[in-house]
Amino acid sequence: MHNRGPRRVGGCLEEIIFLSALDKPVLIIGGGVAGLAAALELDRRGLASLVVEKGPNLGGQARGFCCKALEVCARCGACRVGDLLQQAAQRPALGALTQALAVAAQRQGAGWEVTLIPQEGPKPTSPALALERPLGERLLVQTGAVILAVGHQVFDARKKSRLGYGRVPGVMTAGELEETLAKGGLPGQARRLAFVQCVGSRDQALGRLYCSRVCCGFALRLARLARYLEPGSEVTFFHMDVQDYGQAWRAELAEMRAGMRFIRAIPGEVRPGAGGPLAVFAGPDGQPQEEEFDLVVLATGLEPPVAAPALSEMFGLTPGAEGFLTGGQGVLVAGSAGGPRSIAESIESAAQAAASAAEHLVSGQAPSPEVAHA
Amino acid sequence: MRLNDCDPSFKHEIARQPGGEGIKTCFACAACTARCPVGSLKPEYDPRRLLRLAILGRREEVLSSPLIWLCCSCQNCSEVCPQDVRCTDVLTAIKNLAAAAGYAPPSGQAMARQLAAHGRLLEVGEFENDKRAELGLPPVSEQPGDYQALLGLKPEAPRPAGEGA
Repeated sequence: MHNRGPRRVGGCLEEIIFLSALDKPVLIIGGGVAGLAAALELDRRGLASLVVEKGPNLGGQARGFCCKALEVCARCGACRVGDLLQQAAQRPALGALTQALAVAAQRQGAGWEVTLIPQEGPKPTSPALALERPLGERLLVQTGAVILAVGHQVFDARKKSRLGYGRVPGVMTAGELEETLAKGGLPGQARRLAFVQCVGSRDQALGRLYCSRVCCGFALRLARLARYLEPGSEVTFFHMDVQDYGQAWRAELAEMRAGMRFIRAIPGEVRPGAGGPLAVFAGPDGQPQEEEFDLVVLATGLEPPVAAPALSEMFGLTPGAEGFLTGGQGVLVAGSAGGPRSIAESIESAAQAAASAAEHLVSGQAPSPEVAHA
Repeated sequence: MRLNDCDPSFKHEIARQPGGEGIKTCFACAACTARCPVGSLKPEYDPRRLLRLAILGRREEVLSSPLIWLCCSCQNCSEVCPQDVRCTDVLTAIKNLAAAAGYAPPSGQAMARQLAAHGRLLEVGEFENDKRAELGLPPVSEQPGDYQALLGLKPEAPRPAGEGA
């Protein structure tokens, strides 16, 4: 069914693997950015794949992200989800099962046999794409390789109770602000905004010693967008240090520094004030200071996916250092399931995982782990 | 500040002291400073700054600083610290190093003399001894010489016969 000849890609003749002997599809667990990107990359290589998504819709968490462009693109990557969905819908060889959960896996030669069961859940929030089909009954899938693209979970800001989330009115997570901005504007009369970085990241007390890497970028872009939508608003950015995303970012950052107040401290406490949340922080002079805001936005970090322990056990994988997934023989990891990654980085890692899966199908050999989840 | 004036081994020295281990994990987020009650009364007092100076290796500057003795050990900083630095304990470690280097403040030295001479910092009078008698405890005398022996300040005095442990 996948017997194709050489074809032209980007002007050069690409060697295409003949799949008559490799007719098992690659199973991709997770239908977010990374899962879709992996499916498209496999398709580009002439390999069939089946995307399994436990939720009612493809697109994953990034679907709820807002475009952070002002007049020009902010390169946040949020629009890539729509692009990927659109591209995937145009590929007849792509299949996706929604509301499906992988519950068991058994090694079969160089590949796997994976058991899928239907997942009870909310009804689809958007009309199903041509390739989406909800799983009706228990299904056994034989596959040559598995790509784990189950994404991440967002840190629950309630665990940092001192910062007031769920307790102090006017404290929200950056994800919630994304949703609000995606719908069109700042909530209420918010003019004095504070962003608190590293909530649930770089926190030994929580066992989250790593940097989530994406928060500086999305929080600052959100802040800039908020100022653009409400020109009178003032932004205070509480941070330890700012991630470096390269040359272009440095120029953007210099501009942001000019327009916002950067304070190199994380508030020790946020409590209800007379007119909004009151933050207690070390001021630039090294003295405790209190200031009232209309909105305190917590940049919550990325955590390993909920399914990581179950999947590790299912596929016999060694858990990663921070609880994120690592690959194994015939099992590749794509996107933020393997560690904190931005949308662009997730797509990149998905392409690598797809390439490694293709290599595994051809040789029956495990690709070197560096390649598998670099 | 010149690197030549910094002592990179200072933080390791602090980390070797009991309670000082946490210093190496500090990210300087200043949550400690935000919640420090001393800082809100004494503008120069900033625990993040003290820890930063220590990590940078400004040994003399830290040990000779009168500010390190102002910590009131309320543990607010330990409570908010995302990195489990245990700032109060680190400052205690720094204070111990400062005392060993001869930087103990005069009030501290006076207390040490008091302790060596009398075995305690507070006067024990009739009131306390009455309370002790109610609890069936022997009275405490005003001049217990053997405290000095305990502190190694004079040879141990022979115990009077019949006095139990």
